[in-house]
Amino acid sequence: MLWIGVHLPALSLESFIATLAPESPEEGRIVEDADEIDLVGPVALIERHRIVAANAAARDCGVRVGQKRATALALAPHARLGEADPARDAAALMAVAHVLMGFTPAVSLVADHVVLAEVQASLRYFGGLPRLLQRLHAELAPLGHALRLACAPTAQGAQWLAVGSDDTTHALSNTRTDWRARIGTVPVARMAAAAPHLAALEALGLATAADLWKQPRAGLTRRFGGELLADIDRALGDLADPRTALQPAPTFDSRLELFMRADDSAALLTGAAVLLNRLTAWATAHHGLVAGFELRLHHESCRKMLEDPSSRTSKLEIGLGEPVSDTAHLHSLLRERLQRFPLAASVIELSLHCHAITPGAPPNTELFPSAASVGEGWHRLLERFEARLGPHNIQRLQPVADHRPELATTVRQGGEDSSARSRTQGAPLNLAAPAGPTATASGDPAHWPRLKRPVWLLREPQPLRDEGGTPLLSGKPLWLVAGPERIEAGWWDGGYAARDYFIAQDNDGALLWVYRFRRAPEVGEVGWYLQGRFG
Amino acid sequence: MSSPSSLLPLEHLHPALWRAHQLGRGREAVHASGYSALDAELPGGGWPQRALTELLLAGPGWGEMRLLAPVLARVGAAGRGVLLLGPPAEPCAEALAQLGLDLSRCVVIRGDDLLWPLEQALRSGQVGAVVAWAPARLKGEALRRLQLAAQSHEGPAFIVRGPAVAMQPSPAPLRLALTGAGPDALAVRLVKRRGPALEQPLLLSLPPVLSRSARLRALTPRRTSVPALSAVA
Repeated sequence: MLWIGVHLPALSLESFIATLAPESPEEGRIVEDADEIDLVGPVALIERHRIVAANAAARDCGVRVGQKRATALALAPHARLGEADPARDAAALMAVAHVLMGFTPAVSLVADHVVLAEVQASLRYFGGLPRLLQRLHAELAPLGHALRLACAPTAQGAQWLAVGSDDTTHALSNTRTDWRARIGTVPVARMAAAAPHLAALEALGLATAADLWKQPRAGLTRRFGGELLADIDRALGDLADPRTALQPAPTFDSRLELFMRADDSAALLTGAAVLLNRLTAWATAHHGLVAGFELRLHHESCRKMLEDPSSRTSKLEIGLGEPVSDTAHLHSLLRERLQRFPLAASVIELSLHCHAITPGAPPNTELFPSAASVGEGWHRLLERFEARLGPHNIQRLQPVADHRPELATTVRQGGEDSSARSRTQGAPLNLAAPAGPTATASGDPAHWPRLKRPVWLLREPQPLRDEGGTPLLSGKPLWLVAGPERIEAGWWDGGYAARDYFIAQDNDGALLWVYRFRRAPEVGEVGWYLQGRFG
Repeated sequence: MSSPSSLLPLEHLHPALWRAHQLGRGREAVHASGYSALDAELPGGGWPQRALTELLLAGPGWGEMRLLAPVLARVGAAGRGVLLLGPPAEPCAEALAQLGLDLSRCVVIRGDDLLWPLEQALRSGQVGAVVAWAPARLKGEALRRLQLAAQSHEGPAFIVRGPAVAMQPSPAPLRLALTGAGPDALAVRLVKRRGPALEQPLLLSLPPVLSRSARLRALTPRRTSVPALSAVA
């Protein structure tokens, strides 16, 4: 058994800082690590009117744990004080647990913001403990927490050592005596079972675990209960210590109450980035990829909303053509959408929901970019276009077996490349291997087979003036050089068309596609129409 | 030209160096246009990549897509995407397929502001070929941005503009003015290239629309004004 204990000493403070808008407006980025907390300015947490946590900047101003709120504000007038919120901490801690679930299924939460994970079975896959820890640090970094890590052969030992480890060194004791010596140094203050008896233990001069196990067991058990010694036995490995493994929730649901109301997309993105990091952590726990998510913006209440409660939240749904687990990509998609999303009112709370997850593919280990990775970049580009320009502006063309030129092309909207998405009208033609020039693409284009249709079709056929049977385009006559080609179709669907098509040449030598109706035109009716140009 | 014969020719010093009477060579790979007469006059022997190519023409329908078809078909066949930004009319799927384009890799982008997607597409380097129809008024600054963005674009990038801008300076290293030259033929004037100016426009035979007899018919009424095609093939 090899347990990793991850302790987050400043979790409450960091989860509060995540709700703050960045002071520097130029970036919507969350705090990267503990050193950067200082950039946020003095921040402190309050519980029952007393300071319970303060960051380095606040401590520099003289703010101390235990001070009253008024004292803290007098010492640091510009400090931002937030209420401690266990639910907010739990959500942040759950994200850390989700990241750990990417490494092992045996993850459990214990008190004091410690997450335990049993990684013995995963060592070989991740290439040994040092590399696993390195990767763990890298994957936890986006969440922006200060970490203390410890490795231990028992769960209880990992918990105690993680809380105490002042740096991230984690020498693993090999022998039982070494391990006993290390557990022996754990102070009693760190043991949950000793909490009610701390004063008595101090009076007895019992400061560490070693002090405790030197005493007669029966006497200790009578005075302090059996749990204290049982915990030490579990830490030493003398007593079984089964832990129930945490299961990731089947759907993702996370909310973030903003410290200040957000009026623009930059402030929203800061908060959304925190939620997106949690979302990808959750996807990691499922070994899955995010296929879409929904961001709900909860607005500050105003009079209009009293009348219409449904306008209190606005929803922003983002679906992905290609599922990803990459926060940066999700972030860029969200940025494009938020920038053109009109905010009805200031936003005070964000929540992110996701139930669309697809099982992940095995990791990509290719050395050189292959066609697949090139295709992925292309899909991502189209997704960004779709997010910014709207799906109706991203069009794919699909030929349809219909003789009427205006119906021979269907336009599929959106960047997704599934031809099954919209097969609404007509049967799509399979022209993947046309009899055309693909095979002869290297040959002289002048000897390609004759082009049957013009590349450019006008949206509406343009009526042409008729002068003695010759069509006129902007006053100049057109020569009919080929034709007629009769197209008579559509009597079955109400779009009856009976036209004679000609290829015409204008004064400058460009080729046009014109038609006239099969029947003779009535008096005063336009005889000729321009429908296409041979581009 | 007066350098002693013992010395290495100057243009061998650096691949980006060429003499005024020679065609530039460049270090970048080029994409053959499919038209041997055109390739012979393009620096490097084909459409450049990592650079903008300007096509100046008066309107749709002069044969511009038939001119680009061989290179777009080859890009699609290599499994890369082709973007058409803001085409001037509705493209006909059947015609594009007949020109050899792989429609599953061909995406049309529309919208009011096409500079943003154009710049993103060029910058991403994930697109095989780009053909963009420029808005009527395109600022020089925007063109410079596009030319910079194109430097990470591994493939040909065409921007179609009106003929009026031929006299205006442009950062694009290759500029071609296209005019009609009779049925199924295109006159290409090289407005700007890395190399000596070309006096005469090139006449290219395009993939045909007309049959042989129809072409003769098209040439008959104005045989005097249309250049003879026999000189081209």
